[in-house]
Amino acid sequence: MNTILYASPLVPVEWLAAHGVRPIWWRACDPRRIDAADCDVDRRGEPGSLLRGRRGVCPLAAAVVDSAARASASAVVLTTTCDQMRYAASWLQYQRRLPTFLMNVPSTWETETARSLYLAELERLSRLLVALGGTRPSNEALAEVMRDFDGARARLLGIRDRLLGRDLAAALITVRETAAPNEWPSVADSVPSSDCRPHHDLRQGGPLRLAMVGGPLSESDYGLFDWIEQAGGRIVLDATEWGERTLPRVFSAESTRRDPLSELADAYFGTIPDVFRRPNHMLYEYLSRELSARHVHGLILRRYLWCDLWHAEVAVLKACSPVPVLDLDASDSEASSSERTRGRIEAFLEMLP
Amino acid sequence: MNHPPRRISLEDWDQRYAELVDAGLHEPAYGGPLRRHAESGDRRLTRLQLDNSAAALQLWNFLLTEEQRLRQAREVGWQILGTVKDLGTIPVMAYALRRVVAFYPDGAWWLPCLMEDQTRVLQTADSLGIDDSFCPVRAMLGAFANQAHFPLPDLLTCSVGATCDDVSALAQRLERMGHPILWWEVPHRRQPEPGEPAIPLPGGFHAPACQVALVQAELTRVRDALQAWSGQPLGDRQLRAGIGAANRVRKLLGELRWLGYTSEPCPLPALEMLVAEMLAIHFCSDQPESIHVLEQLLAEVRARVTAGLGVLPKHAVRVFWVNPVADLRVMNLLEDVGGRICGTEYLFCHALDLIPEDLPPLEALARCALADPMVGPPQDRSQRICREIRRFGAQAVVISRIPGASHCGLEGLVIADMVRDRLGIPVIEIEVPPITDALEPSLRTRLEALIELQKR
Repeated sequence: MNTILYASPLVPVEWLAAHGVRPIWWRACDPRRIDAADCDVDRRGEPGSLLRGRRGVCPLAAAVVDSAARASASAVVLTTTCDQMRYAASWLQYQRRLPTFLMNVPSTWETETARSLYLAELERLSRLLVALGGTRPSNEALAEVMRDFDGARARLLGIRDRLLGRDLAAALITVRETAAPNEWPSVADSVPSSDCRPHHDLRQGGPLRLAMVGGPLSESDYGLFDWIEQAGGRIVLDATEWGERTLPRVFSAESTRRDPLSELADAYFGTIPDVFRRPNHMLYEYLSRELSARHVHGLILRRYLWCDLWHAEVAVLKACSPVPVLDLDASDSEASSSERTRGRIEAFLEMLP
Repeated sequence: MNHPPRRISLEDWDQRYAELVDAGLHEPAYGGPLRRHAESGDRRLTRLQLDNSAAALQLWNFLLTEEQRLRQAREVGWQILGTVKDLGTIPVMAYALRRVVAFYPDGAWWLPCLMEDQTRVLQTADSLGIDDSFCPVRAMLGAFANQAHFPLPDLLTCSVGATCDDVSALAQRLERMGHPILWWEVPHRRQPEPGEPAIPLPGGFHAPACQVALVQAELTRVRDALQAWSGQPLGDRQLRAGIGAANRVRKLLGELRWLGYTSEPCPLPALEMLVAEMLAIHFCSDQPESIHVLEQLLAEVRARVTAGLGVLPKHAVRVFWVNPVADLRVMNLLEDVGGRICGTEYLFCHALDLIPEDLPPLEALARCALADPMVGPPQDRSQRICREIRRFGAQAVVISRIPGASHCGLEGLVIADMVRDRLGIPVIEIEVPPITDALEPSLRTRLEALIELQKR
């Protein structure tokens, strides 16, 4: 089966899977670690065109380029939701080592023009998938795949409160690849046991309830969850880019039956709140609703250095948030800053009211 | 042309201005000695070498009185449109309306340079959480916040989609600060797929027909909004007139660039050429006057070329320049070390291309918007740069990175690689912040090295 590497929540996994290809979410080692073995090479195959650590280049975009260029996938699908990733896709296309599909996801979202562009891009993606050996799904086949993934997401969200932060984050990635429940950590394995409960409960009533928002968290960032839990906190809302926030809404059964592709577009493009959208008030409405519903005590904003989209929102989040906000930026040299990050998390939790 | 052309300091301009006045200089209302701009805050002028012609005087006076012009427009009841992240599309539509003036708020990025940071727009941006990890265009946010520069526009438009994150993020902040924005989408320009209808764009690119149609639909939405806002019709007849006027500017710039970048010796300094090119974006808030200013400048250049005169020694090394500089002083620096500009791509080359006049106006404008080099992949931009390097006969390339700009991290790699690969000429990348004084020795050394390499 052909595999498609992708890394954007705005690409519907159902659409990929329904074509009979295997969706693989991008994973890599620490995107901030510069490792000679991971170095990018230039078009002539010579080492040297190192993107990682290059001034102004997002560490995540550089990591995606590095690993995508070496991936054994049939193609990589990236989106225009951030300028750095748009240029990363162009770089991959320039390198010509892996077919790279750059999906136009409009920044505007309130017009029919924007919606039609998103739908047209799904159709264009379909043509690529068919060219790679996939099969254009019938409406019935697509609807069935949508129901499978909808069910998988519902099951996952049903147990989210019983999963450790890192397990939930990993499962939220897995559910972007497969609807098979046996791919997730079992609840029995994941429910915080007495051994892995937060070591420093600051409150007798339980850990501090935290939300995390911001750009993507890769597997190498999951240590953040551990530190938070060890410091007496617990992430009750993972609103980072690859977290719960960017899951599509539940599909309407009637719309799925009538016009599944249109319903897919509405559930993804029409409702996922994100920072790149113009205007971006949907993001703040989501946060306001969820922070309140989950009784959050503090909000952690985690962003990569050079990510203008999240960086520009720091001051707004601080002004709008009903709870204190901790701004964590991840630079190119996490090794030197990890203890700093940990210290800041601990201090943040200590000062929460 | 009694004085031989040369670059002179602001101090020299005091004397030169007096001589011109004595000789019967006729100036527009915004005319006057350049010194007054420096005294009222544009202190960078004291560090620049400026062309000594009356035409250049008019160009500088035109540029440096834009804020005054906008305030006057407000006072007489004209409507003011701010066109954020728009390099030459919506202003063409706006100037087809009566009693409407469009300006480019992003242009505030030169304030910290011109005023040598006395304006404190960057500090204001800092205080709003927009630090120097952003492109210097963050000065725009500071200018909106401190309201000490341009008058607040009555309407703001902003193109988003395939645009830099810096401006998109800053515009979003503007909206949250209470400045409503009409957002319009420009998709990332892609190659037409096999069998997909393709449309030629100005500048030599092609785009899928569906993308042209989409941008046309967006421009129709903007047109409708402008009609409602201004209370005036903006039909094809008005738009055709607007396109005709914009093309007048572009034709003048076309000839000016050709003469300026190919004549030997160099007839006009890089700095004045840069300012002239910038007029294409929004006409410096006065389209008819921008045409007049360019006509004067072109007449001066023609005269110099005919007389075989120039502002630099013959055989200066011919350099193609990529990206605009945040510090104007750097254009002087290149000439100081023995280089001259022979071709530019200041991120708005599409605003220099003629707008097709044989198409429905909004389709023509849609094609122009999609021809924006930043809308497409850097490979396209690099191809165009290579083409222009050949056309102007440049011997070397300077890629001037804009600090913090989301597109500058990666695109320079592609441009440099493609230029070296296809043309075999040297390329250097430099980074130019709004004030380069502290970096000048290292910038000078790098530019000198490039020039020396070509002189051998």
